[in-house]
Amino acid sequence: MASVSVIEAGRVAPRRASVLRKLRGGLQGSEYAWAIAFCIPYIGVFIAFVVFPVFYGLWLGHQPSLYVELFNDPIYQQTVVNTILYLVIGVNVKMFLALLLSGFFMRRGWWVKGLLMIYVLPWAVPALPTFISIHWMLNTQWGLINNVLWDAFGIDGPGWLDTSRWLALGSVIVTYIWKNMPFWTVILLAGRMAIPQELYEAAEVDGATGIRRFVHVSLPLLANLYLVCTLLSTIFTLGDFNTAYFISGGGPALSTHVLATLGIRDAFEIARPQLGVAAVLSALPLMIPLVMLLMHKLRTSEVQL
Amino acid sequence: MIQLTRRSVLQRSLAVAAAGALARPYIANAAAKTATVWWTQGFVPEEDAAFKRIVDEYQKQSGNTIDYSLIPFAPLMQKIVSALTSGDVPDLVSHDINDQVVVPQNAWDDKVVEVSDVIDTQKDKYHPTVYLATQYYNNVTKKRGGYLIPFKTAVLPFHVWTPLVEKAGFKLSDAPKTWDAFWDFFKPMQPKLRETMRNVYAMGLQCTTTGPADGNNMFHHFLIANGGNGIVTKDGKPHLDDPQVKEAVIKSLTYITKAYKDGYVPSGALSWNDADDNNAFHSKLFVMDLDGTISTEVAIKDKEERAQVTTMSLPNKNDGTPMTAELGVGGAFIPKGAKSVDVAKEFMTYLIQPKVSNDFLKEGLGRWLPTMPSLVKDDPFWSADPQVKAYMTEGLLSDTVPNYPVFNPGYAEVNAQQIWGVAEADIIRNGVDPKTAAETALKKIETILAKYPIVQS
Repeated sequence: MASVSVIEAGRVAPRRASVLRKLRGGLQGSEYAWAIAFCIPYIGVFIAFVVFPVFYGLWLGHQPSLYVELFNDPIYQQTVVNTILYLVIGVNVKMFLALLLSGFFMRRGWWVKGLLMIYVLPWAVPALPTFISIHWMLNTQWGLINNVLWDAFGIDGPGWLDTSRWLALGSVIVTYIWKNMPFWTVILLAGRMAIPQELYEAAEVDGATGIRRFVHVSLPLLANLYLVCTLLSTIFTLGDFNTAYFISGGGPALSTHVLATLGIRDAFEIARPQLGVAAVLSALPLMIPLVMLLMHKLRTSEVQL
Repeated sequence: MIQLTRRSVLQRSLAVAAAGALARPYIANAAAKTATVWWTQGFVPEEDAAFKRIVDEYQKQSGNTIDYSLIPFAPLMQKIVSALTSGDVPDLVSHDINDQVVVPQNAWDDKVVEVSDVIDTQKDKYHPTVYLATQYYNNVTKKRGGYLIPFKTAVLPFHVWTPLVEKAGFKLSDAPKTWDAFWDFFKPMQPKLRETMRNVYAMGLQCTTTGPADGNNMFHHFLIANGGNGIVTKDGKPHLDDPQVKEAVIKSLTYITKAYKDGYVPSGALSWNDADDNNAFHSKLFVMDLDGTISTEVAIKDKEERAQVTTMSLPNKNDGTPMTAELGVGGAFIPKGAKSVDVAKEFMTYLIQPKVSNDFLKEGLGRWLPTMPSLVKDDPFWSADPQVKAYMTEGLLSDTVPNYPVFNPGYAEVNAQQIWGVAEADIIRNGVDPKTAAETALKKIETILAKYPIVQS
C-alpha cells in the first residue's frame, strides 16, 4: 500500500508544479514575488477607486423598497420614457447622420478639410459653456433664437424650455446630437479610410457606383464598426448628465429628466442618496446586456475593419 | 551601490508603513485644536471677507485653527448630503437653508450633536422665532433639543422697480394694504409698459418645481395670507384636514396659477432656480417679486440703480389682519462623528456674541438680518437705509413664524419634493383644477408626514 502511495505522489508532484507554474504565468521563485509586489499598488488603486465605489453604490441602492417607491413615482416613469427616447432618437439619428457625413468628408479638396475642422468644433469646445450658451439662446424672453424670429418675422417664438415637455426634450436631443455627432463622424471617417481603395475600383469595374457602391461595399464593411460605435455611444449616453441638466434642467415641471439627472435630484435635492443611487442603478438591466453585447462584438474574430 | 533584494524592499516598505502609522497620533493630537468648517459662500464678496475676518480674529484670540472651505450654495448641499451619508464629516457646517433641509431630518435621525449649551449663551437675547428655530425633534431621544446654532435670519420682502411703476403711470404709495389686492395692483402696469417695452411682466411669481427654496417660500406666504398658517403647528402635528387650511391651499394655488395663465408671469418661471428670479429681476423682466433676503438689492453695485429698487415689507393678510412672515434662520450644526466638537462649539460661541455677529452681518452689507431684536433697535445701520429698514422691520419687528420643517422634519421632504410647485405645474400644464391639485398635494404631504410621527414635543 505504502509503495503505491509513494509512486502516486511521485507522479502527482510534477503535475502540481506544472499547474502552479502555469497559474503563475511561467514565473519562477523570486520573479513571482516581484511580480506580486509590483501589482499590489495597481490592485490597491483598483480596489479603492473601482471596486469600492461600485459595491458602495450597490449597497446604497440595495433596498427593494427604494425600487417600489421609484416605480410608483410618476416622475420616475416619465423619466424612463425620456431616457429611452433620448437614447433611441439621440443616438440613432446622431450615428446615422455621422455615417452620411463621414462619406461627405471622404471627398478630396482643401475646402473639405477646412470644413471638417470647423465641423469638429462643437465636439472640441468644452461642454458646459456651450450648453449654458444654448440654454440662454433658448430663453423665451431674451434668447437669441426668439429675438431673431421677432426681428426677422415679427413673431414671438415658442417657450422652448418653458411649458412643453416635447419642445424641451427635443431641444435636449438636438443639442446632444450637435455636440456629439462630430466625434462619431471622425471615427466613421477613419473606418471608411481603412477600406482598401482596390475594393472600390473593383466595384466600379463591376458597375457599382454612387449609392450602390455605398450599399454593396462601404456599408457591409462598416457595419460592425457602426454597430460597435452605436453600442458604445448608447452606453455613454445612458450616463450622460450634462446635456439634460444644463439645457432643460429637467424642466418644465420635472418633465424632461433622464435617469442620470433624476438620480442627482433624488440624491442631493431631496437629500435621499439611496433613492438617487437606486434611480441610476435601475438602468443596469439595460446597461449590462449592452456591455455584454459590446464585448461580444469586440471579439477579434468578428471585427471586419 | 545599495543592493536591492526582495527582502530589503519588503522590510523598508514595512518600516515606512509603520512610521506612518506611528506618526498619526501626533497629527491627530495636533488636529485637536483645529476645526474643519464648511461655510456657504456669500452672494457678494463682502460676505466672504466678513467671514474671513471673523475667523482671523477668533484664531488670534483662541490659538485654535479654523480650517474652512467657502463653498457655493448648491455644491455645499451635495457635500453635506454625501458627508452625512458616508460618515466622513467636517466639524462644523453652515448652510443658508440648514433650518429647512439638513438639520430637521438629521436631528430626527440623531445624526447631529446637541448644542443647547452654545445656543443658551444667548438664549435671552434671541428673537423668539429664532430660538424656536433652533429646536428640533430627535426620534431617538424622543424629545426636542437645540441642534442649530443661529447667527443670521432672513425674510422675504417685496422688491419693486420704482421707475417701471412710474413709467406705467402708477405710484407705489397707492398700493393696497391687503395681500391679493397688493399683487393685483401691479397687473395693469403690464399692458401700459408693453406699449413701449416688448418683454416685461407684472410679477416674478416663482411657481417653480426646481427650487430649492424660492418656490416653497413664495407659496407659504400665499398660504399664510389666506389663513393657512396652521398647516403644521408648533407641536409638529399636521392639520391637513382642517377646512381653513384646505381653503387656503386652494385659494393660493388659484391665485398663483391664474396670474401665470393670464400672462402676468414670465413663462420660464416654471423652471426657475433660486438665482433665476434674481437674474430676471436685474434684467427688468418684471416689475416686482417676493424673494428672500435683499440679495437682489445688494448685488446692484451702482448706487443710483440700486436706489431705483423699492424694498417693501408685507401687506396684511386677505382678512385684513397683520401678515405673518416666514423667518428663515441661518445657522451652523455639528455632525455626529466630528473630531473637534469643542473647537467648533467655541468658534460658534464666539460668533454668536451680539457685537461679533452684528459686525459680521453689517460687513456682509446687511443681506442677512441679526438674530436679536435689540441689535436692530440699538444700531442705526439697520434703520438708515430704506431698503434695509423695510427688510429689518418685516423680519425682526413684525410677526413671524419659522419654516415648517422646524416643527416637523417631514416638511423638509415636502419642500425638497417641491410638492406645491408640482401642484402649480399640474394646474398650469395639465389643466388640473386647483381643488383637485390641492387634494393631491395634501394627500402627498400626509403620506410624507406620516413617516415622522412626533410623540412628544
